[in-house]
Amino acid sequence: MGSDIFEFSINGLKIIIIFMMMVQIVPLLVWVERRGSAYIQNRFGPNRVGPLGLTQLLADAVKFLTKEEFVPQGSYKFFFYLAPVVALIPAALAFGAIPLSIPIQVEAFTMMGRNWGPYTFPFQSFELGLGVVFVLGASSLAAYALLLAGYGSNNKYSLFGALRASAQTISYELSMGLSIVGVLLVYNTFNFTEMVAQQSGPLAFKFLGNDLLISWLPNWGIFYQPLGAILLFAAFFAETNRLPFDLPEAEGELVAGYHTEYGGFKMNMFYIGEYGHMLVASALMTTFFFGGYTLYPWLTPESLNQALSSFSPTQASLITAFSLHLVFLVKVLFFLWIFIHVRWTLPRFRYDQLMDLGWKTMLPWSLVNAIVTAVIIVLMRSHWS
Amino acid sequence: MSTFIISNLWFYVLALSLIFFAFKVVTSANPIHSALHLVLTMMGVAGLFFHLNAQFIAGVQVIVYAGAVMVLFVMVLMLFDLKHEFNAFAKGLVSGFLKLMSVALVVGYLVGVFLESGESKGVKASLTTSGDQTSTQLQVTRDLAQLLYTKYVLVFEVLGVLLLVVAIGAVAISRIQGGTHAKH
Amino acid sequence: MNQLLPVAFLILFVIIFGVGLMYLASLFGAKGSKSKSHLEAYECGVQATEAKTSKVSIKFYLTAILFILFDIEIIFMYPWALSLNDFIASGSGVYMLGAMGFFLFIFIFGLYWEVKSRALEWE
Repeated sequence: MGSDIFEFSINGLKIIIIFMMMVQIVPLLVWVERRGSAYIQNRFGPNRVGPLGLTQLLADAVKFLTKEEFVPQGSYKFFFYLAPVVALIPAALAFGAIPLSIPIQVEAFTMMGRNWGPYTFPFQSFELGLGVVFVLGASSLAAYALLLAGYGSNNKYSLFGALRASAQTISYELSMGLSIVGVLLVYNTFNFTEMVAQQSGPLAFKFLGNDLLISWLPNWGIFYQPLGAILLFAAFFAETNRLPFDLPEAEGELVAGYHTEYGGFKMNMFYIGEYGHMLVASALMTTFFFGGYTLYPWLTPESLNQALSSFSPTQASLITAFSLHLVFLVKVLFFLWIFIHVRWTLPRFRYDQLMDLGWKTMLPWSLVNAIVTAVIIVLMRSHWS
Repeated sequence: MSTFIISNLWFYVLALSLIFFAFKVVTSANPIHSALHLVLTMMGVAGLFFHLNAQFIAGVQVIVYAGAVMVLFVMVLMLFDLKHEFNAFAKGLVSGFLKLMSVALVVGYLVGVFLESGESKGVKASLTTSGDQTSTQLQVTRDLAQLLYTKYVLVFEVLGVLLLVVAIGAVAISRIQGGTHAKH
Repeated sequence: MNQLLPVAFLILFVIIFGVGLMYLASLFGAKGSKSKSHLEAYECGVQATEAKTSKVSIKFYLTAILFILFDIEIIFMYPWALSLNDFIASGSGVYMLGAMGFFLFIFIFGLYWEVKSRALEWE
């Protein structure tokens, strides 16, 4: 995390800022959801509190703060309080492992009479050699928040809701894992930064010994793994408990499922976790299939470095990093909008339809995707002499 | 020199907290407390794998053990309301004696391992290397794959058959007492 | 191991953030009534009718066990996916396909058997 105090403090600040980014996108997303769903349903959303209803969420946050502190009688207090905190951890861990832009290179400078050496700050909370495996591991820990919430509530229906929600989550983790196998076959690495670096060129691949190059298309993963992208996206809907896989929180059926007995900020923390998982899902989709933070041929690290060669290296690196981060954010917001749009368009699946879909449709199709990808790769990259 | 001390410090902190969690697994009165401490133990073991430069195995430990097996444990423990059970295990002469004997066994085993520690040099060597981060890890995983699919490929296929047997066995057991669509 | 220091820092910060928020909410929150019906478990507003413990379907257990098995099989495919290109470059790509193909055949047979025997039928 840093060999001297400057690097240590900047990295610590960066970890906190990236986590708060995940927390602060919740009010923005909820506003988009409420206004967007309102327009989809041909009505106005919140438009009284502040301009365009933008500070509605601030008012809601203050309201949450003043709600009653309620613990159901006879519940296991420790689990009841632990579950919302545990709901935040997997999303925060997974979001920290995804690179949001290229690393920032800072040249050596002097400050306060000391020489601070050249640094490289990766634009992510932590850089691990195994990117994808870490994110999968963090996502698989999301089932515990559901179980703890359902159990700690001392409510039979919350417990059923939690069991159903966790059974749904683990069923769709299989399709997620298999679709990621397809992605690994294409990119041949676990590390996200290398995956994005491979996507910042023109579309080029070897086919039966010939090299094909299409120079006006970027080398995005969506051209290599279209079926895998669709399967992964659908599996993410189930992982984040969003409609159409919404049954664990279906209003009107189980009241609110595993978080029935929660009120006030504890409930809000479950929502932060859910939107955090949505954010991680969108970031993974852009990193795997849509080029991450590069946009060949206009906005790649090389072209920006060339264009900014008149600035000092530190400033050029900063400007490049933040412009590429803007590209990343635009793509992530696009996927978040798709999440929200699908929620208000499709009806909800019944529970047995949901489980049948997960085990009997998506798992076989993910297998087919992995097998066909492997066969095609052997065909493509073998030596035909 | 300072990285040597710091990396050893990590190991001791991790190992001591792991021992504490494992102790709480055995001695907790509430079974769900035990299960959750076991989850923490699994994640601590993943940290130990990480420390030994086997990062892929650490990730697999979290995905499979802490993320699948322990979810099964916690789900099953929540299905059965075990409130009236944990008094039976918290005190009693026979169970106390059994606990003491199992602790003695484990301690004796550990002492034997220490006395036989001709291999400790290898462990010390990997404790001091801080492996290069991204590229060596992929190389470690690729080496693992090379071994797994050439030298040990028969073991790998037998493992697949074993998993199939487990699946069939689980379905069969669940139907013994009329579970899911058993024929009466 | 120094790579995990940011992870530990993040987990610590998230726990402090969560606990701090909950504590803040409990400071500012209104105090609720202490009547018995207020503290009971929520059941659409009526008094709790059934006994608290009841039978739960065994399908949850089966789903979790089958998930563990298939998860392990998927984990085996990860090093295979990484090293397939190396094997192709050294000329034995088809062998790798065959080795994993046999394993996948067992996997697919397990899945087929489990679907055919209606082990995961949810009504």
